Amino acid sequence: MSPWIKAVVLPVFAAALMASFALRAAADEAADPHAGHQPSPAATVVRSTANYSVPPIKLVRDDGKSVSLADELNDGRPVVLNFIYTTCSGICPLASHIFSQLQYKLGADRDGVHLVSISIDPEEDTPARLRDYASRYQAGPSWQHYTGTMAASTAAQRVFDVYRGDKMGHTPVTLIRAAPGAPWVRFDGFATADMLLQELHGPGHVTAAVSPLSPAGR
Amino acid sequence: MLRASAAFLVATLLAVSAWPRAPAPAPAGAEVLYRQGILPSGAPLRGEREGADPVEGAAAACVNCHRRSGFGTEEGRIVIPPITGKYLFRAGSMDAANMANPGGEAAGPRRSRYTEQSLARAIRTGVDPDGRPFDYLMPRFPLDDASMTMLIAYLKQLSNHPVRGADGDTLQFATIVTPDADPVKRQGMLDVLEHFFGNKNAFHLGKDPPLQSDRRIHFRVVRRWQLQVWELSGPPESWEAQLEQRFKAQPVFAVISGIGGRTWEPVHRFCQSESIPCLLPNIDLPVVAEQDFYPVYFSRGVLLEADVIARRMHEEAEKSGLRRVIQVYRREDIGAPAARALAAAVAPLGVKAVARELKSTNPARELADLLRETAAGDALVLWLRPGDLQALPAQPAANTSVFVSGLMGGLENAPLPAAWRTSHMTYPYQLPPQRTVSMNYPLGWFNIQHIPVVDERTQTNTYIACSILAEAAGHMLDNFVPDYLLERVEVELSHRIINGYYPRLGLAPGQRFGSKGAYIVHFADPQGKRVVADGDWIVP
Repeated sequence: MSPWIKAVVLPVFAAALMASFALRAAADEAADPHAGHQPSPAATVVRSTANYSVPPIKLVRDDGKSVSLADELNDGRPVVLNFIYTTCSGICPLASHIFSQLQYKLGADRDGVHLVSISIDPEEDTPARLRDYASRYQAGPSWQHYTGTMAASTAAQRVFDVYRGDKMGHTPVTLIRAAPGAPWVRFDGFATADMLLQELHGPGHVTAAVSPLSPAGR
Repeated sequence: MLRASAAFLVATLLAVSAWPRAPAPAPAGAEVLYRQGILPSGAPLRGEREGADPVEGAAAACVNCHRRSGFGTEEGRIVIPPITGKYLFRAGSMDAANMANPGGEAAGPRRSRYTEQSLARAIRTGVDPDGRPFDYLMPRFPLDDASMTMLIAYLKQLSNHPVRGADGDTLQFATIVTPDADPVKRQGMLDVLEHFFGNKNAFHLGKDPPLQSDRRIHFRVVRRWQLQVWELSGPPESWEAQLEQRFKAQPVFAVISGIGGRTWEPVHRFCQSESIPCLLPNIDLPVVAEQDFYPVYFSRGVLLEADVIARRMHEEAEKSGLRRVIQVYRREDIGAPAARALAAAVAPLGVKAVARELKSTNPARELADLLRETAAGDALVLWLRPGDLQALPAQPAANTSVFVSGLMGGLENAPLPAAWRTSHMTYPYQLPPQRTVSMNYPLGWFNIQHIPVVDERTQTNTYIACSILAEAAGHMLDNFVPDYLLERVEVELSHRIINGYYPRLGLAPGQRFGSKGAYIVHFADPQGKRVVADGDWIVP
């Protein structure tokens, strides 16, 4: 081998290799200047209000009873409503988890608030499957799940402007009506249990009817 | 000599510095962490979100959102990104030329490549390598170092191995035929498959250039499609071994369509144990095991029919004074398990279920004898093929409601004698007038291809299965991973409007039957094929 190679090329090559490793490492560090300084993200939630008109759509409740959506949402209690399907793996577990937390935080007041979850995959979500799903989230008697025909589920979704063509298109939405006759409050995004609780308790969202959760006379 | 050593040294140095290396195999326990949310210590994986209680164990497992393949998914406007090593350790980009995101659309903002350090930090604190926080849906996982190392090693090798049945040029598929499959249906199916695969290859131009474009288009990566026809022989107990042998000789990427008779169980087991997608076979008695990932069916077939009949019996029990259900079937056919399912479903009604097996090749006498047995208040359920229906006596028994399996009997072609045509027939499809638009596509395609329609149902289902496969495969870009194929089918299936006989199809994790319901119909007239539904679509 030429002495030139031994003396010059190999060492230069080796040095270049070392330098390339060092450069990669430096680049990695430089790409992350703010590591550790970011606070954890709050949910991005958009709140709006609307006056949805609920017709008597025939649904099947998780106890197997045939019911009217209008009646279920108008029994005098505040309503918190979402749309799920039992084999959903992304949005619904979190949405139902939040309902579970809300139920817990309501404590002794829980029977005074009607939690309603309507299936957007009704042919798969039979009452039996809904009961199984509900038990995973420790749903109490005031948190009920609903199914029905494809047409009924679609109609219910359209009432609240959540219909997105098929179940895979759904987005996280929670709807609250803090008192009968009040406008509906709509949360697009993952409203936390605390946000929902605040909505149920909060001032300015209660009409002449006194919310069961507010101190008497508010 | 010295020149050779120097060259060798240089070559070694170059090889050592070459990126990327082949992935090490997954460490033991890593898959359990990823799929079940259990740490090596046995403790549950814990995921935290601000303002919410933590999730633990199975509910916290990565697989829920990022899926088995690690390629993620989309739900509405939420894109759950891929987390395979191949994706993580290179820069994310909106640029189609560098599109590593298999989802294609909405790849997300540009992001620097992860390192093991920044990835660990991301998983623990919820920020990406450029300091941007993740979407609220992604929890933070306070993993210990050992678990983190294990998880990262798992991600590096996830969906990063050579795929059986997929090489640079060709995708291998197989279709499976059992020896007891109806020969006419079998031929019709093979005709459809041959033409579909032939067309797929008509525009193939040879080995693809690397995935490359400076336009942001959602484009397809073209492979030649090759179909193996695996014809089984002998008793079902021997089929699994035959399939293993075939697979060893020619590995395939997926099993498509196919046709069976009395049982599909050995095929189901083969696909599940070899991790091969088994898509939408032509069988009316599937295996019901929805936690098995790989086999996917159009419907539960005669088991669905049994549940639909039971549902009708439940609804009418009081009104009809039903005391006894007499079920007629042949032991060696699929009516036997269907009858068992129906018997179990009506047991809570206090109704007695009686089984009557047909034995002779010419059952006219047996059927006549059977009818004499029936009494008022009985229901008769016929799990019979057209040949046996034709042998029914001219007159049914009085005061006996009759149910007929549409799938076995031939639907609107069921050769029921005139006086029997008021019977209740299960019909797990759209009725003919409802499905004309949906059927325009397959029938038009058969016409153009000059495929004789020898069994419209089987051939339509085969065509639909192929379309579903083609659509899902098209969305995988160049990530030919079997798990990913199934995940794409799950996401896309309910978008489809053209489903042949089916009103709609849908799947999801843990859902393995695309269609869930049926009508109960009766013939409108003593002659002719017009059927009328008794009520709405029933989902039992």
